[in-house]
Amino acid sequence: MAELHIIGQIVGASGFPQNSLFCKWGIHTGGAWRLLSGLKEGQTQVDLPSTGDMAYWSHPIDIHYTTKGLQGWPKLHLQVWHQDSFGRCELYGYGYCHVPSSPGHHHVSCVTWRPLGSWQEQIAQTFVGGGPQLRSPDLIYSGADRYRLHTVAMGTVELELGIIMRHFDRYGVES
Amino acid sequence: MTANSPSVFLLMINGQIEGANFPEYDDLYCKYCFVYGHDWAPTSGLEEGISQITSKGRDSPHRLVWNFPLEITFKSTNPLGWPQIVVSVYGPDTFGNDVVRGYGATHIPITPGQHTRTIPMFVPESTSRLQKFTSWLLGRRPEFTDPKVVAQGEGREVTRVSSQGFVTLSFNIVTKDMKRLGYDTTATETTHTHTHPVAAGFGPGNQTLSM
Repeated sequence: MAELHIIGQIVGASGFPQNSLFCKWGIHTGGAWRLLSGLKEGQTQVDLPSTGDMAYWSHPIDIHYTTKGLQGWPKLHLQVWHQDSFGRCELYGYGYCHVPSSPGHHHVSCVTWRPLGSWQEQIAQTFVGGGPQLRSPDLIYSGADRYRLHTVAMGTVELELGIIMRHFDRYGVES
Repeated sequence: MTANSPSVFLLMINGQIEGANFPEYDDLYCKYCFVYGHDWAPTSGLEEGISQITSKGRDSPHRLVWNFPLEITFKSTNPLGWPQIVVSVYGPDTFGNDVVRGYGATHIPITPGQHTRTIPMFVPESTSRLQKFTSWLLGRRPEFTDPKVVAQGEGREVTRVSSQGFVTLSFNIVTKDMKRLGYDTTATETTHTHTHPVAAGFGPGNQTLSM
C-alpha cells in the first residue's frame, strides 16, 4: 500500500474586500484512500492585519494517507469567511485545489468565487451583507451541477504544501 | 550503523534566524523552540534558544538582524509530526515593559538543500476596547500561555489575531535513509539513483550517478 504525507500550511489570503478573515478547510478523497492520522478538516484563526492587505493564518496541515489506487486524489476545499467587529460572519468565497501529486515543496495559489444572487439580492448585499451560500459544500470540489450557478470572482488563498510519497514507485507510479 | 535495513531516518537542520521586518517596533529579541510529533526525537543540538536584542540600523530602516544559529538533528520512524519551528518576538512598549510582538511558526522544509522562509508574525487581539486600553496602560498584553499552540491546528477557530511583521529564516537540510525506507521527497527525475547502492543512505540529490 502506498502512503502520502501532506505537510504544510495555509499561509493566508489576499484580494478580498475586507481584511478580517478566517478560513474553513477540509480534504476530500476518493474511496481508495484511508486517513491514518492527522486532522482532515479545521478552521483557522481570524486575522486582522495591521500592516498590508494580506491576512495571515499560518495554519499547519500534517496528514498521513494510505491508498490502494490513484483515483480520488485528495482535494483541499476552502471557504473564506469575514468576521466583522460585531462578531458576525459573512461568506467571502469558496475554492478548491488538488493536493500536488509530485513529491517536494509546492506553493499553491487557490482562487475563490462567491455565488451571485439576483440584482435585488446584490443591492441588499451592499447594504446589509450576507448573500447566497451553497446548501451543500460538495459543489465546491465537484463539477456535477455547476452549470446552474452564476458566480463572481473573489480573492486568492496562498498555501505552502510539502508532499512526501512512499512506495509509489513499487507500483510503477511515476510522479 | 545498520547498513542493510534502517528503521529510522535522520533529519539534520543547519540554519539561522536571519532577522525580522517590523515596521512599527524596534529593540526586539526572539525565542525559538521546535514542536514535533510523537515519533520524533532530537538526537543532538539545541531545542530552544533566546537571541540577542537588536535595533534597526540607520541605512536599512525596516530591517532587524539577529543572525541567530539553529543547529539540530532529529530522528524518526514516520514523517507524521514533521518538526515545526515556533518563533516568538518580544520587545519593549512605551513604558518599558517587555511585551510580545509576534508569534509565528513554519514546518522545517522537507527536501534536502538550501531554503529560505519568511513567516508572518501575529499577536492575539484583545476582546474589547476597554481591555485593549488597560493592557496598553499596564503593559500586560494578551499572549499565549504556551507558544507551542501556534504550531497546532486545533482550537485555533476561537482566536482572533492581528498580523504585524515578518521573520526571515534560512535552512540547510540534510536527510539520511529516507530513500532507503521508501520515502520520496523529490520528483521522479532522480529515481535512477535508488538502483545503485553507492552513496545510498545519504540525502538524495540530483548530483550523483550520471554514469
